[in-house]
Amino acid sequence: MAWLHTWCGLWISWLLFAIFLTGTLAVFDDPIGHWMTPEHALEEAAHANDPPPPKVTDRANRLALALDFMEKEHPKADMWEIWPVQRPGQGLSAYWFQPSGGYGSAELNPLTGALVEHVREENQRDTIGGHHFVDFHYELHAGRIGVWIVGITTMIMLVALVSGVITHKRIFKDFFTFRPAKGQRSWLDAHNAVAVMTLPFQFMIAYTGIAFFSDDYVPAPVVAQYGMENGKKAFLSDWNDVGKPARIGQAMAIPDLESYALRAEQAIHQEIRAVVLDNPNDASMRVCMYGWNEESDTLKRISANTGMACYALATGEQIAVRQPGHADSGPAGLTRIVMSNLHMAGFGGTPIRWLYFFCGLAGTAMMGTGAILFMVKRRQRAGGEFGSATERVYRMIECLNVAAIAGLAVACVGYLWANRLIPVGIEQRAGWEVRAFFGLWLLMLVHACLRPEKRGWIEQLALLAVLCVLLPILNVLSTGDNLVAQITRGDWESAGVELCSLAFGLLAAWGAWKVHKRKEKPARKAAAKERGAPASLQTTMEGS
Amino acid sequence: MNVILCALGLSYAGMASLSLAMDRHHGQVWGRDAAINVRRALQVAGAVLLALAIWPCVAGWSATVGFVAWVGFISAGALLVALLLPYAPKLLLRSSLLAAVAALAGLVTFLQ
Repeated sequence: MAWLHTWCGLWISWLLFAIFLTGTLAVFDDPIGHWMTPEHALEEAAHANDPPPPKVTDRANRLALALDFMEKEHPKADMWEIWPVQRPGQGLSAYWFQPSGGYGSAELNPLTGALVEHVREENQRDTIGGHHFVDFHYELHAGRIGVWIVGITTMIMLVALVSGVITHKRIFKDFFTFRPAKGQRSWLDAHNAVAVMTLPFQFMIAYTGIAFFSDDYVPAPVVAQYGMENGKKAFLSDWNDVGKPARIGQAMAIPDLESYALRAEQAIHQEIRAVVLDNPNDASMRVCMYGWNEESDTLKRISANTGMACYALATGEQIAVRQPGHADSGPAGLTRIVMSNLHMAGFGGTPIRWLYFFCGLAGTAMMGTGAILFMVKRRQRAGGEFGSATERVYRMIECLNVAAIAGLAVACVGYLWANRLIPVGIEQRAGWEVRAFFGLWLLMLVHACLRPEKRGWIEQLALLAVLCVLLPILNVLSTGDNLVAQITRGDWESAGVELCSLAFGLLAAWGAWKVHKRKEKPARKAAAKERGAPASLQTTMEGS
Repeated sequence: MNVILCALGLSYAGMASLSLAMDRHHGQVWGRDAAINVRRALQVAGAVLLALAIWPCVAGWSATVGFVAWVGFISAGALLVALLLPYAPKLLLRSSLLAAVAALAGLVTFLQ
């Protein structure tokens, strides 16, 4: 079983490290996005002390205005969706299915119903923010092919997890064992410790990650039920839109929707978020009212479903009701929603996100230590697995280790640097930030191949340290905002990004220094025992 | 905040107690193997503390979310213990005792 773990683990460890590190950062995609749109953040800060806007009392009027707009502009659309009181900001929005496919949207003036034109502001920093990390970790920015690559890699990760548990013969005896400064032993201890202690999380995150895309990865059931041709589309419309009525061709005026909104609020005990009108002006018309999840809802429930109540407008009859947290497609549907939200940490608030962040870092450390352990072991005693090519393959693995671990981290913080350095207002600015990420990563790979292994580690870790530690300074120079000001005004999202960056920078500096002190031939006993190691999970990654 | 401190304190103290019931780690703190009754006592204390850690989680969130949080806190507690043991075993002992006392006292706030 050991060879299965070693070889399954090795070949996927680099990609998994990238998936895990970006996935871990994706936990905080909102704060990262907030940091990456400083103009917006500063404007938000200027209005932070404004009193909350008064409660909207003219919802009936807002609904009527939006219906008028749709009647005039998009009468042919067979689905109108109105958000009468947007959060935050209490705006009025309308959405519809375009005949050509896709979703149309418009923001309306809540008092007049006139279309609000959005001119792209000159100083707007075009960016996809933290979503870059989200997108990368599940599709590598490569669309469906990326989804498949990540899925197969995750399947192999599950194989490596199970075979790892079997290979680890002293899982309970060595449960708390970490012996630093002992070369190969320390790497193995660190690899075991982070993996075993966070094993429930690692299984959960890998499994729910696969379950998330189950209809992609396991397409046969959908094909069997709906056929090859357009099967997925039919499945999704059934899934998302249970009991959508068919048009009957008899004209009917749209009644007052406010009374239905009030009825729905009685039924689901949530404020109305979206009013979805199917087959407008047809006698088969149905309206579905969706509620807002309040913070207390997401704190206490894993399922992110809001409440919903549907009415047949011809009869006024309530035809479906879903309580908040329930699913309208039965227990299987609820399971799926819970699995997805379990993966996205969309519940329980900030403490849960921090737990996910640390467990994610532990998983990242598991991949990193595993990949490094492979080479540390073979530098002690070569395995000769690849015959005469062994030395070349080892060299390749070393390059990949440096580029995949230190290099990727450089690319991640480099992405934040790109956000501040790429001029505001150039064409495809958001795309250039992502290109900077990939470009930097490629550069690190080239660098790792050109430099001796030890120099490669030191230089890339040192670069990482510099980029991370200087990130707050870069922010001061580019926007004038600084860490102290962020903390004083209570902007913990921006401050959190910069404080984490500082912490990672110190870790990287410590790692670079440790590699620098390492003897070329790993000695049995390390020179001096390190004191005052930062008590963070990642230290286990860098220990020599 | 109280929920987090209580849950983390109990998980950390529980894991520390379980680790000190093992000869290797008992030796790191006291320089000798654990007597059999001491070991049993530490194991029971550790198990009870870990089990108690679910209380603030369920009280602060809900049964479902609390359970997920509990598993996370236990992992975090174990990682802290493993990281402290080789560097500062005495500190581990003192801090886990303090954490246990403080967290148990904090549990009182969940009694209502």
